[in-house]
Amino acid sequence: MFNLIRRDVILQKRQLLIFIPFILFFIIMNAHPALTFLVASIFIPFNTYAYDEKAETNILLNSLPYTRKEIIASRYLGAIIYMVLSIGLASLALFAFQKNFTMTDIAIGAGLFLVFASFTFPLFYIFKPGYISTVVMISFLLLAGIGPAIVTFLADHLTVITDFITNLTMPTLYTGVAVVILALYAISWVTTNIVYHRKTF
Amino acid sequence: MGNVVELKNVTKKFKDFSIKNMDLQVKQGFVTGFIGANGAGKSTTIKMMMNLLKPDSGEVKLFGLDYKTEEKAIKERIGFVYDGNVFFEGLNLKDIKRIVGPAYKRWDDTLFYHYIEQFELPLNKAMKTFSKGMKMKASLAIALSHNAELIIMDEPTAGLDPIFRRELLDLLQELMLDGSRTIFFSTHITIDLDRIADYIAFLQNGELVFNHSIHDVTENYALVKGGRELLDSDTKKAFVHIDRASTGFEALTNNIKLVKDTFGDTVIIERASLEDIMNYFKGGFTACLI
Repeated sequence: MFNLIRRDVILQKRQLLIFIPFILFFIIMNAHPALTFLVASIFIPFNTYAYDEKAETNILLNSLPYTRKEIIASRYLGAIIYMVLSIGLASLALFAFQKNFTMTDIAIGAGLFLVFASFTFPLFYIFKPGYISTVVMISFLLLAGIGPAIVTFLADHLTVITDFITNLTMPTLYTGVAVVILALYAISWVTTNIVYHRKTF
Repeated sequence: MGNVVELKNVTKKFKDFSIKNMDLQVKQGFVTGFIGANGAGKSTTIKMMMNLLKPDSGEVKLFGLDYKTEEKAIKERIGFVYDGNVFFEGLNLKDIKRIVGPAYKRWDDTLFYHYIEQFELPLNKAMKTFSKGMKMKASLAIALSHNAELIIMDEPTAGLDPIFRRELLDLLQELMLDGSRTIFFSTHITIDLDRIADYIAFLQNGELVFNHSIHDVTENYALVKGGRELLDSDTKKAFVHIDRASTGFEALTNNIKLVKDTFGDTVIIERASLEDIMNYFKGGFTACLI
């Protein structure tokens, strides 16, 4: 299983060379640190899907002594491992450029990444190969572009929810959000497992 | 000798095609050639053997084990070669080895490099720069480097030039020398099989027509030529399929004795090649009722 996770790095040797400039671009453009953490986390797991959505890759992986459960587990665990590594790297880069960031930024970046992964990972196995990478990438850019505006709009207009949230103490809020996100991730994992088990190649 | 692969009453339905109640055994220690026209269901059968497809009903067992509980143990013991390249096009063989090798407990680097050298393959060039023959050799090198007991190949000789086909068949023959290996491969180039196959499994429209030793096939099947006046509703029963021409008929029989008893010396009996058998069956059983 560890081999399946390590595979991502072997596959993406060349893409990893643009990983650093990619992060630096966001840092130099003065993007919000949370956004930098988010895009850094997305880089490796989603690049892998560009390979994994191909039927040939699935035929190969399923012909090797791996179970389908392991293949999916390697995706979900791998995403977390690469997220941690990427955030570490991004932190170093931010630090080197003397940009300030807080633990909250990391938490927001990681949280958003996990939510995004929860919704998109199953799609890679549900839809036909060839389209889904493009769809996910475009929807990501769209969300990153208009997402904050939507949140601000909702925050201004749905006072019931914002009141409820602002009334929560910080620890409760963080724990609550963390639990919700982890639950989402777990549900997504189970869903993908079911979808992948039924898949034929 | 036991069976390495056992399909029992396997059915798999698709929209426009289905495999019906297939019983297929692959004997340990032999080369079984899996023949049939394009679209007969060869790849589907192989995919079910590899657990890439699950049958609608019936049982698929490899080494006596069930995929439901022993998937990893089964796949450890199989080497696979598919028609197309399933390895990452952008990677070189060294990197592919880094990905595939650790998946197997019994992976042997020395063996891998031995085959790379034997096949004269470059280690540092991306797979996409390989010719069809080189890709095939690369797949084979990977399939052979973990001491697999069963080698499953889907159309390994398709698209290869005759020289390399011969090379490949020689290599397969060499692999069989130690007696413990089993090779199961599909092909529609039947002359390959005359040289190395011990058993022939013949699939047509999703149905297994026969699975005999090559000896039995040559013993049982023959081409029969004779005058048209010899054919009537009774004598026609001796044939699988009959081709009529103005000068006479040519037919395939699977019962040489019956033909000899019925026609005696009035017909010419010739050895039927696998290609003849495939061709005549393509005409179908029903054709001889006409």
